Amino acid sequence: MSHVSLQNVAVAYQKTNILENFNLDIPEGELVSLLGPSGCGKTTTLRLVAGFLQSHQGSIQVGGKDYTTVPVNKRNFGFVFQNYALFPHMSIFDNIAFGLRQRKVSKKDTYTKVMEMLELVGLQHFENRFPKELSGGQKQRVAIARALVINPDLLLFDEPLSNLDANLRVSMRSEIRRIQQESGIAAIYVSHDQEECFSISDRVAIMNKGVIEQLDHPAAIYHRPRTSFVASFIGFKNFLRFDRRSENGQKPIFYKGDSTFAVSYEKDTGSMTGVIRPDDIRIKPAGPPVTENELSGTIITAIFLGRSYQYEVKTEHGSFTANQEMTIPFQSGDSVVLDMPPHKWVLVEESEVPSYAG
Amino acid sequence: MKQYGKYLFLLPGLLVLTLFMIIPIAGTILSTFFDAGSFTLAGYMQYLQDPYFLNILWVTLRTSLLTTLICILLAFPAAYYISKCRPRMKMILLLLSIFPLLTSPVVRSFSWMVILGKGGIIDNTMALFGSDTSISILYTPTAILIGLVHLFLPLSIITLVGVMENIGDDVVEAAKSLGASASTTFWHILLPLSVPGLMTGSILVFVGSFTAYTTPALLGGRESVISTFLYQNAVTLNDWQLASVVATIMIVLSFVVIGIMNWLAGKVAVRGGNIRG
Amino acid sequence: MANRWLGFVTLLVFTFLLGPLVIMLVSSFGEAGVLQFPPENWSLKWYANIFQGSMFMTAFQTSILVSFAGNMLALLVGLPAAYAMSRFQFKGKAFLQTLFISPVLIPGIVLGFALLRYIIVTFQIPVYTALFIGHTIIMLPFIVRVISSNLDNFDFSIEEAAVSLGASRVGAFFRIVLPNIKSGIIAGVLIAFLESFNNVDISVFMTGPGVSTLPIQMLTYVENYFDPTIAALSVLLMALTAVLMFVIERLVGISYFTKK
Repeated sequence: MSHVSLQNVAVAYQKTNILENFNLDIPEGELVSLLGPSGCGKTTTLRLVAGFLQSHQGSIQVGGKDYTTVPVNKRNFGFVFQNYALFPHMSIFDNIAFGLRQRKVSKKDTYTKVMEMLELVGLQHFENRFPKELSGGQKQRVAIARALVINPDLLLFDEPLSNLDANLRVSMRSEIRRIQQESGIAAIYVSHDQEECFSISDRVAIMNKGVIEQLDHPAAIYHRPRTSFVASFIGFKNFLRFDRRSENGQKPIFYKGDSTFAVSYEKDTGSMTGVIRPDDIRIKPAGPPVTENELSGTIITAIFLGRSYQYEVKTEHGSFTANQEMTIPFQSGDSVVLDMPPHKWVLVEESEVPSYAG
Repeated sequence: MKQYGKYLFLLPGLLVLTLFMIIPIAGTILSTFFDAGSFTLAGYMQYLQDPYFLNILWVTLRTSLLTTLICILLAFPAAYYISKCRPRMKMILLLLSIFPLLTSPVVRSFSWMVILGKGGIIDNTMALFGSDTSISILYTPTAILIGLVHLFLPLSIITLVGVMENIGDDVVEAAKSLGASASTTFWHILLPLSVPGLMTGSILVFVGSFTAYTTPALLGGRESVISTFLYQNAVTLNDWQLASVVATIMIVLSFVVIGIMNWLAGKVAVRGGNIRG
Repeated sequence: MANRWLGFVTLLVFTFLLGPLVIMLVSSFGEAGVLQFPPENWSLKWYANIFQGSMFMTAFQTSILVSFAGNMLALLVGLPAAYAMSRFQFKGKAFLQTLFISPVLIPGIVLGFALLRYIIVTFQIPVYTALFIGHTIIMLPFIVRVISSNLDNFDFSIEEAAVSLGASRVGAFFRIVLPNIKSGIIAGVLIAFLESFNNVDISVFMTGPGVSTLPIQMLTYVENYFDPTIAALSVLLMALTAVLMFVIERLVGISYFTKK
């Protein structure tokens, strides 16, 4: 029984569908993040759940209750905004107490709860300050406290860390994870930062053009992207569309021109597109004739990345990107052989948008 | 050398301003303190005890204050409504507010003469109900008040729409997501956050109506306000001493009001802080 | 509920703002010698009346000439000032910025009187020239403000790029900066033009034999006659205002008015 359930919801803006027949289920206490390029519909989904937008079909259920037409201020969901949205004319105490006052909580209880929250987010003694006296990270803590103090049925995060600097982002995301787990409240977290989503979430939904392309545990998405869009979005740079395949007992063989590739997979979807990460290709100097899972090519460019070199290699099947650590790097023009082992290949379904630029 | 180069860009403008604004204004103000070469406050003493002049000053202040209050009361709901409108409608309403702002004050005051004057709509409507047709309110302080509200209302609306747009949707959405109703959001979030901008707008309206000339000249008839009084003394009566005193009083009062309101707005803003937070 | 109440108040406010203008528009087409609403018979004769006799035509010419010449002088001294105040940091900048805006802070009627007393009487400058000077002063703040806000959004690194590519400072200004703030300059000129063209407070002190601006001529006319001629003239002026407003909106957008 899922805690949050979106069934067949749809949102259109100026006659363009942003979401269509959209479904999402989240169990009790789980943090699901929505990840995707801008314009993929992730923020729309979040604002729809929050009640800032209305779905013109389908239903939104939370905790067994139907929320499809409930106005925002009657929903009891905690929303954390990208630019904090603290009330500039109120003290930190009044900011956090705002939601409690709307719920007619007694003065004494309000005080106790606000103080508990300040402690939870590590801002003891800040209650009399004003938002403009706080740093970005502190403001975001207040915003989280303010959303959390109303004991919401669901927490909603709209790119809460995107305005913070890199170091603070890393520490704040584990803080958000800790607070969410302690409170046990289900949460939807929107971000365009892959690493942030992977590190914070129970499950990640990769969105593209208003559709969830894959909803899975972070590691599963990282290692086994289901579609070509997901693969390119999470860093599979090399795509190879095979010509044909043959079963050879346990080991299927894929063919592309004269080259053959053995590919191991968990589940056969009948797909003919293979993807492989730059890190998973080994580059060897040209020498002995190429065998299975090998491809000969020429180095076009070599870029120093710090830990490794990134090579652009031209082959008969197009250009490949490969990363490799080495002391004496290849030069452009060098003849090389690419070794792409069977267990590093992933077979993906073609998405509507085949690759993600960026 | 390079430092002075920058000032060269400003020099022509400064020259024009000094010759044709600073010197005449300073000369006017200074002349009120000297009589036959010696310092005196006699000019001020004389007129600040003159009941006729004091009455004009009082009528002008009262009218300006009322204009400001009415403008706030009418502009606030209208501006709130406009800021909530869809972009297209918002654009239309803003253009409809800007149009009167750019239209000549002579034209706008004259349009009220058509309505308020003898044989005007008000007059005719009154006649329909059998009322005395000679009670035209043209050439009364009420006519001046109506004309001034009409003159400055667009300014109030436009300033307030700007302020409300600056408040940002996310703060309003945050309040709603925490359970606040539309009216709570208005009274506890939007109104307090609008106060600094509201005050800036009110300064413009107050000082503008305190010093306005065209509207009182057309709609006030024999009823004097401070600006028409200045004009009469300078041009009709050729009493330059009195005109200079009135001019100085107008400048001083305008700047005092601007100062006080800025100071108050600053006080409010200290707590409110930067609206964008 | 709350929204309907707000909508109702807004409707009332706009009726109040635009109603009189509409009534005047309708009345201007009346045939009778006094303003009527609604008119009993319709006629265009009051529009024709504007162009008969030289009274309004001469005043219109004076207004256009003074506004145009004043605008050019204000632009000539205002543009370099606006450029310097956006481009450079220097001592006393805040004070100078206020100084350039100050002609709108000083009550117009006071400035008009001061100009009459010193420019015309003390300096013995002819009325026509004084009118031109007075209008230059009141246009200057609008020119400086509109161009400054345009320049504040201008990325001066492209000017530096031009200089690094061999352009002279002056060349870079005319070939790089100027084309990019063109719309701001035109908008500034138009807004200042409206301000000057509609001005009463200064012009009312600067009338003389054969010298009078259009608004002053209208005021004088209203004192003596109450026929629809002024209504007809007002309608023409409103049409001019509407055209200029749309041009300004095209050039700098509506936000110029809301974000000050």
